[in-house]
Amino acid sequence: MPVKILAFAGSPRRFGNSETLLDWMLASMAEDPDVTIEKVPITEANINPCRGCNACEKLNKCIQRDGMDIWHDKIVEADCIVLSSPIFCMGLCSQVKALVDRAQVFRSRKYVLKLPIVPPERKGKRLGVFLATAGQTWPHVFDAAVPSVKCFYHVIDIKDADISYLMVNGVDEKGAIEHHPTARSDAEKLGKMVIGEEKKRLGAGIQA
Amino acid sequence: MTITVLGISGSPHRHGNTETLLDSFLDGARAAGASVEKVVLVDLDYTPCRGCNACHKTGECIVKDEAPALYDRILAADCVAIASPIYSMGITAQLKGFIDRAQYLWARKFILKTLDFSPEHIKKHRGVFISTAGQDLAHVFDNAFPAISALFHGTGFDYSDNIVANNMDRYNGIKNHPTALKEAYMKGRQIVQELETIKNT
Repeated sequence: MPVKILAFAGSPRRFGNSETLLDWMLASMAEDPDVTIEKVPITEANINPCRGCNACEKLNKCIQRDGMDIWHDKIVEADCIVLSSPIFCMGLCSQVKALVDRAQVFRSRKYVLKLPIVPPERKGKRLGVFLATAGQTWPHVFDAAVPSVKCFYHVIDIKDADISYLMVNGVDEKGAIEHHPTARSDAEKLGKMVIGEEKKRLGAGIQA
Repeated sequence: MTITVLGISGSPHRHGNTETLLDSFLDGARAAGASVEKVVLVDLDYTPCRGCNACHKTGECIVKDEAPALYDRILAADCVAIASPIYSMGITAQLKGFIDRAQYLWARKFILKTLDFSPEHIKKHRGVFISTAGQDLAHVFDNAFPAISALFHGTGFDYSDNIVANNMDRYNGIKNHPTALKEAYMKGRQIVQELETIKNT
């Protein structure tokens, strides 16, 4: 059984720093023949913001019909969900925040309707990866983005300990990350690590 | 001179907890004699920032929609109250989408150096963040503040107050909260009075 990776390239700027970081990691994952990767540029993903109507608390689905109809099912099917985002104004870019907010349907399913997100045999086997880049050099530039990312993973049944982070600050103009001393090797190492861990989990049968 | 107050509601949910709290603030401001306007972001025609950085060279946004005109209104107001509920530990995507569009003002301030706010200007302009959250966590608002800070710094406002109320799920709505609506009303009145004093001295 191949390891299924679903990766959202969250930046509105195509092929910029956060997407390059993502591509490095995905390329290292793709070296393993047992891996299938679907990369979704968020600008082409047709994800509208959440309307806050709370209908999903009763319906167990969103009342909006857009790209999320597809991504919703793929988020459930994937073994590893990767999210990349640039930092805009000290937070996730709004396109990524829209995806995170639309995960409300999973929150309703899990905490209100008390229904499973994945079947019992897949529980505890999924991993999350968050990649981010920021123009600012402040070390705390990612702090306000991370709690929203955690919300996203928690509601799709990926716990804190199963989320990996690679966040690179001080890269602003397009291509700046190419000159970063460690970003590329860190991304490649992370990709290998995640695939290794995922294969271990998928091969190990039932896991807590 | 009449103090002008602009309220911006970033909630997609009309007349919900957050907008009601904002309304109470604006009522207080009106009672103190301010000229008050409210903009509801879901009724505004705008798209999120594309991150193209074209504004870094020109100081203008290449996206032609209603966002820059709202920034003009922000820059012209004495007090701006910006409101958003907390979704997934942050402000709504709708408000974040609008805030990210201020990049052209950031470019004017830090790259092109064509925009500057003096300490006197900032003293006369007050920014307030208004928010509600379903969760009862005390820190549920913390991750919203940095983006609001970015907005007010970029537009020359003294970000002076947060009017926030958590635990809406338990209270079953802002109307049942013991103090929040009154606090917002009093703050609205007080800020307008303070701005009048500053302007008249």
